[in-house]
Amino acid sequence: MQPPSYKVLLVDDEDAILENLRAFLERSGFQVFTAPNGHQALNAIRQSRPDVVIMDVLMPVLDGREALRQLRAEANWTPVILLTQIGESTERAMALEEGADDYLNKPFNPHELVARIKAVLRRARRDAPPLSAAWQLHAGELTLDRRGKRVHLGGQLLTLTPKAFALLEYLITHPDEIISRERLLDAVWGWEYPTGTRAVDTRIAELRAALGDDAADPDYIETLPGQGYRFLPEVRAAG
Amino acid sequence: MKITRYWPVLLPLALGLTAGLVLNLTQMSNPVLYLRADLGTVLFLAGLAFSTILSLILLVRRQLHQIEETITHEAAQDRRRFINLLDHELKNPLTAIMAGLANLSADQHSPALTSVETQVQRLSRLVADLRKLSDLETRPLELSRVDLAEMLQDLQQLARDRAGADRTIILSLPQAPWPLPEIITDRDLLFLAIHNVIDNAVKFTSPGDTIEIRASEDGRTITLEVADTGPGIPPEEVNQVWGELYRGQNARGIPGSGLGLALVQGILKRLDGRASIRSQTGKGTVISLNIPAGGVVTEQ
Repeated sequence: MQPPSYKVLLVDDEDAILENLRAFLERSGFQVFTAPNGHQALNAIRQSRPDVVIMDVLMPVLDGREALRQLRAEANWTPVILLTQIGESTERAMALEEGADDYLNKPFNPHELVARIKAVLRRARRDAPPLSAAWQLHAGELTLDRRGKRVHLGGQLLTLTPKAFALLEYLITHPDEIISRERLLDAVWGWEYPTGTRAVDTRIAELRAALGDDAADPDYIETLPGQGYRFLPEVRAAG
Repeated sequence: MKITRYWPVLLPLALGLTAGLVLNLTQMSNPVLYLRADLGTVLFLAGLAFSTILSLILLVRRQLHQIEETITHEAAQDRRRFINLLDHELKNPLTAIMAGLANLSADQHSPALTSVETQVQRLSRLVADLRKLSDLETRPLELSRVDLAEMLQDLQQLARDRAGADRTIILSLPQAPWPLPEIITDRDLLFLAIHNVIDNAVKFTSPGDTIEIRASEDGRTITLEVADTGPGIPPEEVNQVWGELYRGQNARGIPGSGLGLALVQGILKRLDGRASIRSQTGKGTVISLNIPAGGVVTEQ
């Protein structure tokens, strides 16, 4: 048990998921309460002020995306992890654009969910929007414009492939966090790739080349052998 | 059916028949006509008649072909819809099962539990493959310059890691007079397609067998072949291997979702290429992937 125990609101329309995940999260030391749809979730968030919300996207009455939009419109920055249903990249992009702090594709390993919750709690700044809700992010010499899908390094526009941009976007919104290659595959590619680590490594190499980053002495992306990657510089949100 | 549109063709025939019957059955005058015509006119009329008949036949055949295509297309769409639905409907129960299992295995360890976990992982892989298959239709291509030789070397290494030392995995790449050209394609998709083909070869061969990965180009097409000395596929099954969820006789007892080659074919279609197979029972199998040397052309 980890004092103080964090409050988690779990929102899904499937009872079986609510019951089993609740038990698992409680076992992991969280205090859990649940809601069956977006509408009731909004009420629960306003009343009980959870530390983090885990919310399904496809739900009756009010779906997860709309609930998140309403929540953010009230300037409520409670961290939200969306459980996306469809492996499509559009759905993931939308999850971030609506101001979700993170997302997981169903089905997922519940241990991965706990890791996501902990990472989000570490990053969360209760009274300020999460990095993932900002349109422009600054890190060192780097500026990432999410709306225009543009990256500048020291004022120079960088040419990146869409996949490399998505990868950088994920890294920069999860700074100082060790992110495994598997997680990057799931989050950025959305497929469980047989090629595994190599697809990620190729894109990281592309990013490093564009950023002029030295893998042996990195300013931006650090490799942690056997663990994954970490985005090093401090990230500021603007706009 | 659209074929009903051609019923009017029979109208003159019906009218003629009716008139003939009426003349024969009633007491109306039914004179015998002696038609006289020169050979030129007869030949011309015969030509006209044949042309009419022939054009009718062709028209009907084209119509039938179109109907057949529509049916095939609709069947493919139905299958895709079904697979999307399956993918969708499997995700929620699997999420609940995985959470439940995580709870159980925190309390106890038993062979039964381990076995269930393995089966759930298998199901998750199936769902992941189904997702890929449906994603493939809508996913925008991400085109970039790809060094095929380097990719094939990576794939050979991956296959060696997987197969261990007991299978010989040969890569043969053209060197003279020039090496394989770079192509513009979707790297991740092509990698996945070739990986699936090699993975299949690894799965269906036994220790001692040989797998050969080879590439060639003729200026217009790049041909990638994965050949193995495995058990081969019976002739009656060989063309079914591309079907979704198809599992051959030899596949019993070998883990797999039955979607690997369906994915390969889907990917090759998107990359303007073609996948084909040759196999002989007892000798082995060759799968060929043909991709345009100029890269993907049809994409927006």
